[in-house]
Amino acid sequence: MASGYIQFVDTAKCFGPVDVVRKTDLGLDRNSLVVFLGPSGCGKTTLMRMVGGLDEPSSGSILVGGERVVGPDRRRGMVFQSYSSFPWLTVEKNIAFGMRYRKDIGAAEKAERMRHYLELFGLADFAGSYPNRISGGMRQRVAIARTLAAGSDVLLMDEPFGALDALTRERLQVELRQIQIREEKTVIFVTHDVEEAVFLADRIILFSRRPASVVADIDVAAQLGPQRPLEIRETQKFFELRNKILHLIRNQTGVVA
Amino acid sequence: MAESAVSVAAAALVVAGWELAARAGIIAPQFLPSPSRVVIALWTMLTEQNLVWHVVVSTTRVWIAFLLAAAMAIPIGIMMSSYRIVGAALEPMIDFIRYLPVPALVPLSIIWFGVGEETKIFLLWLGTFFQLVLLVADDMRRVPQEFVEVARTVGASSRQVMTDVALRWMGPTLIDNLRITLGWCWTYLIIAEIVAADSGIGYVIWTARRFVKTPEVMAGVVVIGLIGLVTDQLLRLFHRRLFRYL
Repeated sequence: MASGYIQFVDTAKCFGPVDVVRKTDLGLDRNSLVVFLGPSGCGKTTLMRMVGGLDEPSSGSILVGGERVVGPDRRRGMVFQSYSSFPWLTVEKNIAFGMRYRKDIGAAEKAERMRHYLELFGLADFAGSYPNRISGGMRQRVAIARTLAAGSDVLLMDEPFGALDALTRERLQVELRQIQIREEKTVIFVTHDVEEAVFLADRIILFSRRPASVVADIDVAAQLGPQRPLEIRETQKFFELRNKILHLIRNQTGVVA
Repeated sequence: MAESAVSVAAAALVVAGWELAARAGIIAPQFLPSPSRVVIALWTMLTEQNLVWHVVVSTTRVWIAFLLAAAMAIPIGIMMSSYRIVGAALEPMIDFIRYLPVPALVPLSIIWFGVGEETKIFLLWLGTFFQLVLLVADDMRRVPQEFVEVARTVGASSRQVMTDVALRWMGPTLIDNLRITLGWCWTYLIIAEIVAADSGIGYVIWTARRFVKTPEVMAGVVVIGLIGLVTDQLLRLFHRRLFRYL
């Protein structure tokens, strides 16, 4: 059995007669950013949703911190591709929504966290704005801030930057990496974008076409180090890694991602 | 601002054309009396025939039936979407009844409820409830799955997902649907009030028709139109106030 903070123990999933995820045995380290890379619709999102407790494995199980996942929990927060900030709440109240159902922390602590995350994501000036008045990038920052404010230890991100323009996307990637290190979070990041995967990941798990099975397991941190300034995208090491993965995808999964 | 000016100007143009057509004698006055004669009839009805009381009676009937329909349609519609079994049980029946024309049910309604207030309320309710319940069920189905899942992953219970997310998300469309079905409720008023009624705008119009008092018939129709217009605008205002984030 694979060891790690998040463990997939012979996890498999089918929807009716359709196999979506093949039996997977995988362990992910704490405080690392792991990218699930694979062709669209291959089942990588389903695998991640099962960590969030939003889908149930058909067989096998998932453990987080040694505890079996049985349903959604605020310690494992989701960030979706679509702008999932609530339109009827201001930026501030959207972030507060993450703490709304917590009775274990008081109002003072909630206010303190709010300040912290508004500051961290550069949202302080927009605290009173409604989501339709701010940009797509800002909305995704709100969604991430809300999840962190909830006290999530594990962030499950489903192509969160997929709908953003290239520049905003780049900035958010840099921010995410910095915040992940600073706040010591464990992140599973689903994408089909190879550049994004290499830039962000400590480790890339490459999946085949549906039903998803692990094709390759690439230790990116060993080659690029933990810090990811933008310039790293122009280095030889980055290109080599990217090309290697593109080859893998062409040869192993039979499609171009 | 420019838009409301156009609205007023267009309405004025129609009224002016109508007045001219009537005065020129193109159409006989018992078929199309001039607007000025309609206004005079309206004045007489207000001062001598207790029109205000009839309006109050009609408005009360509409609102009782409408509120009754809404109070039932909102929870039932939500249940139909939240529990597949409730939807499966109710939806075909509701769809069937929804297509029955209200007038076709007048005789049955009289057999059941007699000719009193109950029949009128029942007919108005009938025209509103079955439409509204399906609209509510549809709205509920359209609550984005992501919103529900975000709430669940930050620790909301099913009930909290309902009150803090689903109902909040539905708010604007719900008020819109209520506004629209309230309009439908008014359209059934005449049918409900020509059934052995002795009060209400429908009764006034129906009685005037019997004596071919066309100006009074038209005045009655105009009153219903005005009430509809005012209610609609008030609800729109309410909508804007309530949902400033839109």
